[in-house]
Amino acid sequence: MSDLDIVGPQLAVLVAAAAVLLVDALIPQHRRIVPFVALAGLALSAAWTLSWVARDDYQTAFEGTLSLDKFSVFFYFLFAGITATVVLASIDWVNRAGRGQGEYYALVLTSCAGLMFLSASRDLITIYVALELSSIPQYILAGWGKDNRSSEAGLKYLLLGAVASSILLYGMALLYGLTGTTMLDGIADAIAADGESHRSLLVLASVLLIAGFGFKMAVVPFQMWVPDVYQGAPTPVAAYLSVGSKAAAFAVVLRIFFEALGEGFLSDDWSTVFAVLAAVSMTVGNVMAVVQTDIKRMLGYSSIAQAGNFMVGLAAISVSGEEFTLGASSVLVFLAAYAFTNLGAFIAVIAISQRIGSDQIKDYAGMWKRSPVLALALAFCLVSLTGIPPTAGFWAKMYIFNAGIRADLAWLVIIGVLNSVISGYYYLSVARQMFLGDAEGADRVRVSPSIGLSLGVATLGVLVFGILPTPLISAAKDAAEIFSRQ
Amino acid sequence: MPFLAADPVAHGVPTIDEAVLWAILAVPFAAWLAIVVYVRKLPQAAGWLSAAAIGVAMVLSYVTLFNVIDADGGVAIHTHEWFRTGLGEGPEDLVVNIGLRIDGLSAVMLVVVTTVSFLVQVYSTGYMSGDHGYGRYFAHMCLFTTSMLGLVLADNLFMMFMFWELVGLSSYLLIGFWFHKPSAAAAAKKAFIVTRIGDLGLLAAMLLIWSRTGELGVAEIQEIAIAGTVPQWVITWFALGIFAGAAGKSAQFPLHTWLPDAMEGPTPVSALIHAATMVAAGVYLVARFFPVFEHTEDASTVVAYIGGLTALMAASIALVQTDFKRVLAYSTVSQLGYMIMALGLGGYVAAIFHLFTHAFFKALLFLGSGSVNHSTNTFDMRLMGGLRKYMPITYFTFLIGSLSLAGVPPFAGFFSKDEILLDAWRENRGLWVIGVAVAFMTAFYMFRAIFLTFHGQYKGGQPVDHHDEDSHFHGDPAHPHESPWVMTAPLIVLAVPAVAAGWFAWDHMFADFINGALPEVHAHGSTFEWGIAISSTAVALAGIFSAWAIYERKWVTSASIRDGFAPLAFLFERKYFLDELYEGLIVKTIMQRGWNRLLELNDKYIVDGVVNGSGQVVRWGSGRLRTIQTGQVQSYGLGLLAGVIVIVVAVYSANPL
Repeated sequence: MSDLDIVGPQLAVLVAAAAVLLVDALIPQHRRIVPFVALAGLALSAAWTLSWVARDDYQTAFEGTLSLDKFSVFFYFLFAGITATVVLASIDWVNRAGRGQGEYYALVLTSCAGLMFLSASRDLITIYVALELSSIPQYILAGWGKDNRSSEAGLKYLLLGAVASSILLYGMALLYGLTGTTMLDGIADAIAADGESHRSLLVLASVLLIAGFGFKMAVVPFQMWVPDVYQGAPTPVAAYLSVGSKAAAFAVVLRIFFEALGEGFLSDDWSTVFAVLAAVSMTVGNVMAVVQTDIKRMLGYSSIAQAGNFMVGLAAISVSGEEFTLGASSVLVFLAAYAFTNLGAFIAVIAISQRIGSDQIKDYAGMWKRSPVLALALAFCLVSLTGIPPTAGFWAKMYIFNAGIRADLAWLVIIGVLNSVISGYYYLSVARQMFLGDAEGADRVRVSPSIGLSLGVATLGVLVFGILPTPLISAAKDAAEIFSRQ
Repeated sequence: MPFLAADPVAHGVPTIDEAVLWAILAVPFAAWLAIVVYVRKLPQAAGWLSAAAIGVAMVLSYVTLFNVIDADGGVAIHTHEWFRTGLGEGPEDLVVNIGLRIDGLSAVMLVVVTTVSFLVQVYSTGYMSGDHGYGRYFAHMCLFTTSMLGLVLADNLFMMFMFWELVGLSSYLLIGFWFHKPSAAAAAKKAFIVTRIGDLGLLAAMLLIWSRTGELGVAEIQEIAIAGTVPQWVITWFALGIFAGAAGKSAQFPLHTWLPDAMEGPTPVSALIHAATMVAAGVYLVARFFPVFEHTEDASTVVAYIGGLTALMAASIALVQTDFKRVLAYSTVSQLGYMIMALGLGGYVAAIFHLFTHAFFKALLFLGSGSVNHSTNTFDMRLMGGLRKYMPITYFTFLIGSLSLAGVPPFAGFFSKDEILLDAWRENRGLWVIGVAVAFMTAFYMFRAIFLTFHGQYKGGQPVDHHDEDSHFHGDPAHPHESPWVMTAPLIVLAVPAVAAGWFAWDHMFADFINGALPEVHAHGSTFEWGIAISSTAVALAGIFSAWAIYERKWVTSASIRDGFAPLAFLFERKYFLDELYEGLIVKTIMQRGWNRLLELNDKYIVDGVVNGSGQVVRWGSGRLRTIQTGQVQSYGLGLLAGVIVIVVAVYSANPL
């Protein structure tokens, strides 16, 4: 029973998924309440998580395979928030798509439960199952749209996801073969005991794991699918992919690499890999984003570049002593800030493209006149993505570059700063179009209440954490405590 | 009496070189590889290459057999560590070995498999000539033979399971060989799915024994069962799991429904796989773990009753079949039930002996049915008759096979069937009664088939449909003829063991030989009793006489008998409604209502996406400037893998390990 209590936040989401399907099937005349049932489930999940925070009694469930700790609690809140925002932002789109109300939200919720399990898993098999639980609904959702491009996006995502997943499995199998256990702490013990003599195989396993998760994190060279899928998938789904599955991938990478593979002789190798991938991702993502004309593709490349920024935190493990957890906590801060910012940007894009029927950046010209609120909100999020104060994105970049400097990765930080300058060009050129360009049409772009609410939440988050970053940073520090070693 | 009995004999250790055993596996495998690689260039060579390779394996198998005979049926195990998990030498590490085991049991199986397979290959060069998939056919045959030999030689459960699945796969490919025929494709799928249900039991048994003991070796598991170092329930459930796997492959109730449908495959395939070898694999598996079954009364009882029930049920269905090949198919199910029943009753020697003789005479019967089909273009017995005149060699060899199957002395089947009945008489009189009833029915349906097919007036066969491009029938069904020598020669060769294979019972020769494979031998086992021998012969002759009276002399018409037992006959004709039950309950209700809905969604959103999307991809991709971001999913996948390789190379070269 207590095991079920521990996975309560996930159960609440899964029960909501079932409830959504039932409501849709049994009382179709009240179909409008479906998204609110989903929101209620997410609220219940957050409340349950909160009750654990209040109980302050962190423990593991199912023979140690799932861990309820401050780290997973951080992600439970994050995922519930992300999913709630995505659900709100989806309402209009799903209503217009006019089919599969229940299924759509059930898939989103199921995927959310998978992400939650992923952030709590401490066992390779559980990690894999949770990863698939979160991924399979995403594949379907990416192909949810009626047009060919959406089907194509879904299929591409599925096929490449399968390839990445098999690479990941090879890495896991290798790790299991070497250590004889699938538990992360057991792997750490085995490597500490007798790992050095098997270093080359352990490095191979690490690289395979990086590749498998790199697909979800969307870092170069595992990023090819990103622009095509973001462009083809329904925009709310693209928003979900860009923050939800990326955050979960970073969470599980932190767990595996910092906990199981954190042994010094090994982390030297993989932190270098992360540092190089970070530099390459930032550069490739930004350079490609500059030439895009489609805003969803541009956001896709931007998310690749941002993943490069996250990776600076992963590479920063070699900070020694009491600041060992600095890299991890900087990743968490960045993830949360990025989640608000990117969701805000995507929701603004949803609202605009629903009205003007185009994703072309040139069609955003003069948006300031047609809808001042949307233009301001989008511009604000783009400023945050660039990393200019007073936004959450500014603190996130500060914090993660700080971790990089402390870890003697000055070269990487310099590349990161240069890239921020490049990114400023394409982020702000969108803003320039909106404020200075000439409007194509004169009709005003209106915002529906649900979109307005979700956009408001996201931009408010960006603003609040931009002004008062301390609560977020201390929460991230607490969460990263699980990686501390005395 | 100087027949089968068991006084413990000292067994030596076979000295046969390990390389020879590996070669038995490697030669057919190499042939498979060669055919797969070169099949497009040299389709005609495929048949002879396959026959030659299996011929070599056969010669090596006989060499092995004689070597094991020299050692009086002792055991030799050559095992090597394949892989292990864990960094240390911890007791909880999973260690998987790869190894071969040769003893009396596996030597007998080797010889049976390679001999029948070789003859079937020769026969197939004639039977399959002109088929579009000639090369593919022989590739599958080589793959099957390799897998079957691997299953026989494996010394541990893990390896057995691998080959077991490969056997299932090649059987699937061969049943569905004419995959453009919907019935063949459906039969292949049915066989695959139904046997997979049994395989789940085998997998569960494997995991159970490994989690409890950490052992997967055959010898180790046998010793554990004998020493009783694990709880009884483990042994019982392990045995039942093994039996579930065996029931799938050996077509035992309730998983027997796939075998008759499997007759959709080419007839030589039915002879090799669904009469002589693969279906015997289940019997072999139970025999391999016979010491385990001996130590669990519960599991053995289940085995014995399932075997008896299968034998009775299948024999009764065979009584009313009109399809020549299906009579043989149900007969096979029934005879496998006999073997399984014998194993459940502790009759290890009797079961394996029957497996040995049955392989020859049943392969002979199937090849005979193929020969008839080659001449008449049909398997429907109502369209045949009088073929004795036109196909004398086929007729006489078929007659020999039938006498052997019916259990008439001195043919092979008499000796082995007699052993089973004797064990049943001693252990369980109820099952003995079933066994005798089955013996009567067997004699009856075989001679019913003979009288309908070979006696009386020829009814013209099935006219050739010249518009059917897939039909490769050449000849004139209206004027039946004897088959070419590549087909009759294997019939003649197989007729020899169909007569004489039973004589190995003399002086406990066979029993002593295969008892060496067991870690402990009980005096329990067969000898010879005149009472059983005479009664079973009498029953067989009565069956033949009844068939003669009804179908040759027509003293009583078959229709009037059918009317007299109408409800029973209806039950038999509908095969006890099992197919309807499975179809209605599992397929219609569970699969179509639930699973199919899921698949439908998958089709709608994913598969259609491929079709619609692929054209889009090309058009879209061609219009793009950047060469890397082509939109082609293949190149993305390639990029992903290339990324992994680049990183690995970079890490290793930056940091020499």
